[in-house]
Amino acid sequence: MFAGRSPSAGQVWDVLTGQADSTARHIVLQLRVPRALVALGAGASLGLAGLLLQSALRNPLAGPEVTGVTPGAVLGAVTATGLGLAGWESPAAVVVAACLGGFTGAGLLWLLAGRRKSDPEETAVYGVLVSAVLAGLTSMVLLVAPGELGSVVQWLIGSTEGRVWEHWALLWPWALAWGVASCALAAPLTLLRCGDEQATAAGLAVGRARGAALVGAVALTAGAVSAVGALGFVGLLVPHLALAVFGADLRTTLPGAALIGAVVVCGADAAAQVLSRLLVEGLGAERMTVPAGALTTCVGAVLLLVVARRHGAGQV
Amino acid sequence: MIRQLAGALALLVAAAGVALCLGTPYVAPHQLPAALTGDGLEAVILTELRLPRLVLAVTAGACLGAAGLVLQEALRNPLAVPEMIGVSSGAALGVAAPLVLALSVPAAAQPLLALGGAVFGGVLTLVAAGFGRSPSAVLLTGAAVSAALQAGLLVLMVLADQLDLQLIYRYLLGSLSARTWDDVVGLGPWLLVAVPALVLCAPVLGVLRLGDDDARALGVRVRWARFGALALAIVLIAPVVAVCGPVAWVGFLAPQLARRIRPGSEALSLLPWSALCGALVVLCADQPARLALAPVETPVGAWTALLGVPAGVALMRIRRDRPSRQASEGSDVMVGGGR
Repeated sequence: MFAGRSPSAGQVWDVLTGQADSTARHIVLQLRVPRALVALGAGASLGLAGLLLQSALRNPLAGPEVTGVTPGAVLGAVTATGLGLAGWESPAAVVVAACLGGFTGAGLLWLLAGRRKSDPEETAVYGVLVSAVLAGLTSMVLLVAPGELGSVVQWLIGSTEGRVWEHWALLWPWALAWGVASCALAAPLTLLRCGDEQATAAGLAVGRARGAALVGAVALTAGAVSAVGALGFVGLLVPHLALAVFGADLRTTLPGAALIGAVVVCGADAAAQVLSRLLVEGLGAERMTVPAGALTTCVGAVLLLVVARRHGAGQV
Repeated sequence: MIRQLAGALALLVAAAGVALCLGTPYVAPHQLPAALTGDGLEAVILTELRLPRLVLAVTAGACLGAAGLVLQEALRNPLAVPEMIGVSSGAALGVAAPLVLALSVPAAAQPLLALGGAVFGGVLTLVAAGFGRSPSAVLLTGAAVSAALQAGLLVLMVLADQLDLQLIYRYLLGSLSARTWDDVVGLGPWLLVAVPALVLCAPVLGVLRLGDDDARALGVRVRWARFGALALAIVLIAPVVAVCGPVAWVGFLAPQLARRIRPGSEALSLLPWSALCGALVVLCADQPARLALAPVETPVGAWTALLGVPAGVALMRIRRDRPSRQASEGSDVMVGGGR
């Protein structure tokens, strides 16, 4: 909100309290507020989706990025854009395409690793492979339709540049509906985390609960991807934070994950803007904008190392 | 053995024939010798365009295949491939950064830049993963490092303008188009370093295969051996990446094919096979890259990724479902199982 190039923080406050000139007001209300809101919504969706996946698969290393869901969603969105079926004019079509792609990615992974009871790391590795194939497909599509390249690169990494009220209008009902639905699954998922046998003994239809959670995760991811692109590692790491902060009872942790995800993405966006500004002042380059996704990916990679090491150490 | 070798070579010759004959203009196979020695348009196209491209594909494929085998054997992990441990992305970043930032770099320095990037990525992964204690830890770490480097690349792409973007994008996928003899010659000195090192290194790889404890008992310094193997792989990969971009997943598929052809053999005898398979894979993938969507060229890396990953995974799974042979081999430490 307050980290853009101009107007300054003081002016923003003036706008919010209703005493500023029209330019500043336009910038704040038409550009910054929706941008912040979209970042919040997408972050919440990704955090939720990650926790759903990790609980349903009982795999601390599952996340939308490494289970093929995000690359699939990107592929769907890019394909739709490339074929001219969808564009920035019709964001709804992008959501649908992203959803289809996400399900494709998740389905591929399931075909590879899901049928046998496999250990978490193996599933993660297969997920990386599936993601690689999907990324290869995406690049093929981009080569066939090179005109889209510039705008799509922003998506491949995840960015909140130039998001306006329309995006928000499209994102919030979707995110809210699926978010509420997912939170309704909290109790069964808490059981699932304890293990299949215990869950069955407690009278839970394991397969159905897991399926429902996966559907919710894919839908949430697709919504977030179509809004801001593939923000790296948010869905993988936010759940770990959430579990550390809120504990293992998903009834509080699911909303908690949404909250943390929202804060993380919004914070990354603000930090990215500050960075961009510093770079512009430092290097005198006019077009320097650091996408938020770059930040989340780099920070996320470091955190992932920590998480992987911790889990690895527990098993050696 | 002889039969397999003959088969592989026949395939190689056939693919080379396709590489030389097809395209615009079409040169019939029986006209090849005449066209190669003659002068005229066809001769120029053959000797200046198709032949160097063919040689480059074979060389690059052989390098990547051998490097993939070295990494897989050293880390005892069928998924330890250049793409997964940050080497490829590091090298690509080293090459792409000056392009975007509009720094002029002499062509000779490009392999050095790639080398720097590859060293950075590979060492980062190894150090972060604790020198490959558990194979899957290396992979996850590598995936994280790769992702971070990829993010760096994407930031560069966001900064680039449209023309640069096309160029970089093609390069990042790995493409053999418009490569000349200069590029092929540029690879030479690196190969002179790498090939003897490979031969020297191979016996140690065979020992590493036994597992860390046994290797230590035999007097191998495991960490240094791993580092050496990584260094060797980097020397093989970086120049290839500098010339034709990170051709994806060849280092994954070629060793799998080699093991398929020669099950149960030593690392030393697998090396030439792996190199041969790599050459075959790249050469075969380059043909659809040249011809499939003519006149537009598709990057060879996209094809190797699309076809290579599923094929490699299938091969891995086939091998896993037949554990009888693995017991005697000991090389098949599956992902997540190397403890």
